[in-house]
Amino acid sequence: MTGATPLLEVRDLTVAYRQGGGWACAVDQVSFSVQAGEVFGLVGESGCGKSTVSLQLLGYRHPSTKVQQGDVIFKGRSLVGMSRPELDALRGDRIAFVPQNPTTALNPGIRIGDQLVETTAAHGRAERAQGAAVITEVLKLVGLPADPAFQRRYPHQLSGGQQQRVCIAMALACDPDLLVLDEPTTGLDVTTQEQIVGLLADLRRRIGVAMLYVTHDLALLSQIADCIGVMYAGRMVEIAPTHEIFQRPRHPYTQGLIASIPLIEEQSARKSRPLRGLLRRRDLPTGCPFTPRCDYAQARCAAERQELKAIDDSRAVACWRWREIAPIPAEPPAALAVTRPAVAVPALSVDRVDVLYGAKGRGFRAVNGVSFDIEEGEVFALVGESGSGKSTLARAISGLVAPDGGAIKLRGEALAPAVGDRSRDQRRLIQYIFQNPDASLNPRARIGETIARPLVHFFGMDGRRARTMVADALHDVRLDLSYQERYPDQLSGGERQRVAIARALVAKPALLLCDEILSALDVSVQASILALLQQLKSEHGIAMLFISHDLAVVRMLADRVCVLYGGEVMEIGPREAVFAPPYHPYTYSLLHAVPVPLRRPDKPIQSRGLAEPKRGGAGCVYAGRCPWQLGEICETERPPWREAHAGTRLRCHHTLEDLNARAVSPSARNKEIAV
Amino acid sequence: MSLDHAATPSHQSALSRYRLLWSQTPQSFRIGLVILLAHLIVAVTGPFWAPYGFSQMGTGIPLSGASWGHPFGVDQLGRDVFSRVVHGSHIVILLSLSGTALGLVVGAVLGLLSGYLGGWFDNLLQRFLEALISIPFLVLALIAIASAGPELSGNPILVVLVVALVYAPRIARMARAAAMDIATRDYVTVARLRGESAWSVMRRELLPNATGVLLVEFALRAGYAPVLVGSLGFLGFGLRPPTPEWGLMISENRALIIITPITVLGPGLALASLVVGLNLFTEGLARILGRTVRLGAQ
Repeated sequence: MTGATPLLEVRDLTVAYRQGGGWACAVDQVSFSVQAGEVFGLVGESGCGKSTVSLQLLGYRHPSTKVQQGDVIFKGRSLVGMSRPELDALRGDRIAFVPQNPTTALNPGIRIGDQLVETTAAHGRAERAQGAAVITEVLKLVGLPADPAFQRRYPHQLSGGQQQRVCIAMALACDPDLLVLDEPTTGLDVTTQEQIVGLLADLRRRIGVAMLYVTHDLALLSQIADCIGVMYAGRMVEIAPTHEIFQRPRHPYTQGLIASIPLIEEQSARKSRPLRGLLRRRDLPTGCPFTPRCDYAQARCAAERQELKAIDDSRAVACWRWREIAPIPAEPPAALAVTRPAVAVPALSVDRVDVLYGAKGRGFRAVNGVSFDIEEGEVFALVGESGSGKSTLARAISGLVAPDGGAIKLRGEALAPAVGDRSRDQRRLIQYIFQNPDASLNPRARIGETIARPLVHFFGMDGRRARTMVADALHDVRLDLSYQERYPDQLSGGERQRVAIARALVAKPALLLCDEILSALDVSVQASILALLQQLKSEHGIAMLFISHDLAVVRMLADRVCVLYGGEVMEIGPREAVFAPPYHPYTYSLLHAVPVPLRRPDKPIQSRGLAEPKRGGAGCVYAGRCPWQLGEICETERPPWREAHAGTRLRCHHTLEDLNARAVSPSARNKEIAV
Repeated sequence: MSLDHAATPSHQSALSRYRLLWSQTPQSFRIGLVILLAHLIVAVTGPFWAPYGFSQMGTGIPLSGASWGHPFGVDQLGRDVFSRVVHGSHIVILLSLSGTALGLVVGAVLGLLSGYLGGWFDNLLQRFLEALISIPFLVLALIAIASAGPELSGNPILVVLVVALVYAPRIARMARAAAMDIATRDYVTVARLRGESAWSVMRRELLPNATGVLLVEFALRAGYAPVLVGSLGFLGFGLRPPTPEWGLMISENRALIIITPITVLGPGLALASLVVGLNLFTEGLARILGRTVRLGAQ
């Protein structure tokens, strides 16, 4: 790369984990370097070793890991051979870490001001008395109020985004040279994520700190990284500048990874085919680890180790055929001819449903007067941030929480509020699929038993008939018959989610409640489950309530979309109409926040910060956070419903013409960066 | 341990795999297992090779102390104490294990249901169990035996029931805590949405996932059960003479402890070694299970 000595250099790093009686290699001869002030992105699917690398940069030595080979050189000093006191002096001071989950990273029992002072005091940067000045400065730097009242707060009194800002402030307290960020926005809402990434880009401009950004989200990385390293099965397969990697990905894995990103914009722009298959660490070939999943694989690939070779002065790739491989175009999505039965009665009808949490009177209104219908065979998406009430609504429909008002009808029949009072058939017709596939399958039951249980319970089937149905169900979700005998811990996350889908399907439901079922999965797995859902949608014609915060996924799957904020419907209508102007201001901010590859974000549109929804007030719930707020009227008067084209309805004080104008104004549109 | 199995290369023989597993077990587990096996062998085979019958009198000079022919001495009725200890082995082990097992079954079912159902059932049951636990266990045992009436005293089944009564509330509390944790998992919610009965949820979803906790609990309780059985015997509320139950023997010979301490020490040592062995074993087992058994997914 360039002639200057890099800030950080990783050379042939090989890290092994203790497993059983031996050592399993988690990171295999990884080399890369980070220049001062550069943002290096490390990307890969779960299990590729990216977090292990990031921990080694901190000299973190867990007793069950071992650096077998290689070195990490930071400012000319080797971290691998460094003694504990030396490391302690360096960590937090010159190299700082921002963890994935700020909730567990902050000590819940210490006020945040005190926690921040600890870092500076530990490195002798400032005595406790002077520390206050430093703290005020870093808090301002990360866009948090620096007043003493705020510093006296405990972590639980902050929102997730604020907690992550505190973690970043803590990392910056000693003015480090390198910031290691391990999935810093994965647990956050998309609008919060946008703000954090905006903050990081801003910090880099202002204080020139170098960053190593570890994430599974390539689209996100494109917005902040200068250079991206792609890891697969513990090896670095490609390193390239960000533009290059999106414009001309060389390694087949990189191509697949880029193609697997669900796009919120037009789907036809796909250049190559999404990834197939799964990373199975147990049966990797001696050569290129990607061989089993590669579209270009030849016999030589499996046998010969692929080293990372520089192909021009800024990029390197570990594939001997990089010159020859051209992207295979993606198959156009088959036209899904959904023949919907022409029935007048919707599969599900939700009419002015309220759900209150907490004590009577002072209750917290989680869902407030939400109404919609889901037609037979339709995929209806509920989108919104955490706390918008979308999961609560799904729980009310399933009968897990009793609504406090309104009516829910299944195929025209009113449902009892509690699941225990519903008939067996009603329970069968609504099936719930949960977000976390790890928790949704009984770890002590074989897959076959898990899928057979609804058959036995609802249809009173005997073992033999159930088994043939289980085989059909496994086939439906594209799993092999041998899975029947396995236990959930022998399955990957994506496979478990398929089993959960199969278990829901065997009950022959009329409505599937899919609660964030893709958000715990890797992009490539997400893409395959999404394809499965699209197929199931056309094959079975089951109505789905698809809850997601991921608008790109919603755009690929949903027929109609409902945007929720603070427990109220903001906008509802057919997919294409919701994703096109006029937007509700909230819909616009959600759409705007989604990272799109190679689209640099301009300033986050919210200047008002993250105010809490104004529940149960006289005005609009979104008032106070709305970027386009009109004025007084938003706080004092309920906004009217407005009918846009194609049956879209949205609720705002702005006129449709006004909303249209705002959505297409040049300052609001994003510019593609020049390539 | 499934991961270890999978990670072990297949060319290794079954024997060396077991050796690997054995080498990974804690030392307390190995020592405990050896002591326990010795006790089990004595309990099973003892009646066939014991030098004398358990109520055979005139085997030697009464109160003659330890000798090669009578390692634990001879009691005042001229019975060989060593033979009596050997004969009594299976009684002690059987009573304590079956009592604990019964306590486990009752406690687990009540605890799991109580933790899953919650509400008034949970409230009522917990207050009742707390009341039982607040009574010192020996007092509780004596009250239970006294209320069973004189015609039942000395009945081994009564001893088993009493052990179960003492242990069930304690096991139930552990089971309840486990159930409350497991009940938050989505697979339990799925079962509830399906409309499964509480019994079915307990059997299919809760019980299999609480086995780790329950096994540890069983092992810990079983380790102390011989002491409980022995205490009952010692106080005269357990089995009737001439049954060679260890606690009873200690009680019978304690008046003459000054003359021949070995007749008390013998059964006492047997009891102590069983308890120590059981405790070492269960402590090791708890460590192994704690390492490998997870409550659902991590």
